[in-house]
Amino acid sequence: MEPLLLSKRERRKLASQYAELCLTCGTCAGGCPVTGVDGLDVRKVVRLAVLGLDQEIIDSKFPWVCTMCGRCEHACPMNIDLLKLLRSARAMRDRDKVPGVLHKGVEMCLKTGNNVGIPEEDFKFLLEDLGAELAEELPGFEVPVDKKGAKYLFTINSKEPFAEPEDMMFWWRILYAAGESWTVASKNWEGVNWGLFTGDDEAMKEIVGRLVQNYKELECEYLVLPE
Amino acid sequence: MDKSVHQELTTYHDPCNYARKSERTFGHGYYEEPRWVLQQCCENFVEMYPNRANNFCCGGGGGAWASPYTEERIFYGRVKAKQIKDTGAKLLIAPCHNCRDQIMKSLRKEYDFMDVEVKYLWELVADSLIIEPREE
Ligand code: SF4
Ligand code: SF4
Repeated sequence: MEPLLLSKRERRKLASQYAELCLTCGTCAGGCPVTGVDGLDVRKVVRLAVLGLDQEIIDSKFPWVCTMCGRCEHACPMNIDLLKLLRSARAMRDRDKVPGVLHKGVEMCLKTGNNVGIPEEDFKFLLEDLGAELAEELPGFEVPVDKKGAKYLFTINSKEPFAEPEDMMFWWRILYAAGESWTVASKNWEGVNWGLFTGDDEAMKEIVGRLVQNYKELECEYLVLPE
Repeated sequence: MDKSVHQELTTYHDPCNYARKSERTFGHGYYEEPRWVLQQCCENFVEMYPNRANNFCCGGGGGAWASPYTEERIFYGRVKAKQIKDTGAKLLIAPCHNCRDQIMKSLRKEYDFMDVEVKYLWELVADSLIIEPREE
């Protein structure tokens, strides 16, 4: 193994000013369910960051098997911003090395308005069809699409229209029973933002911006991300 | 609301994002609100331990449910599985898509508690409603 010359290390990017305060107490790693996976744990990640070994963290799978649950940060006696550290390590990965489908989902969302690429026509047809099905039980029910001035604008988790469409009816029943005025947008209705997971702030902002634009254009009072 | 629909012992999973992370990010953790909603729908409620800010993640968060690290995700979930089984509850309310999928579709099978039903919080509400059909 090559010795690491601390005087020659690259400029640290991952360690925040707080990381220096780490006591190496291990409280963070002690309460983390993935401690030890990939030979790492969150306390070691802080050490690596303080030593400027950013690339080792970025290349490891630890930041991705970590669920960003925040338990470590909550328990840290020095209040070190561990989540930011872990998420930044995700952000610094080349996009083509983001594991699995996460980055593809982000790209799909930017391109089509939802993570799985459901075309607008199919989406509207599905809502109409399912709405009619529910109306057999709840007379007068329909799914209001692009209804201007509705009180609540609901986003939808794309996995539902994609794989579990009937699960959308739970909310619909509640809204019917409450007699509320609500709507769904025909475009950019995705309620899931995978930019959060991939560390992609720019994509995240764009996706949120589109929701806000819908909310403004439809003149709704509340924007609901129902999960 | 008809509480008789859900008579079995019921427990609640605090999703990291509603609970601990919300407290840190927005200054308010949603701990009590979902418990209040839940208890309008069921009579028999039991907490898992630890809960609220100290609850354990289901193991499917942060994109893990959609990531290729399946083995690690299931390993992570062992803690959650134990928490749930220790309560003896037969119904688990998980008010987050990720948590619900991880627990219902993966952990139940991997850690052998298929006898525990899993519902979203809003599913629990929808299933408890007594709906008066509106006049057309
Ligand atoms: S809990 Fe905080 S102070 Fe202790 S080892 Fe972890 S990061 Fe360092
Ligand atoms: S945020 Fe990541 S490192 Fe911290 S306790 Fe959760 S899984 Fe472990």
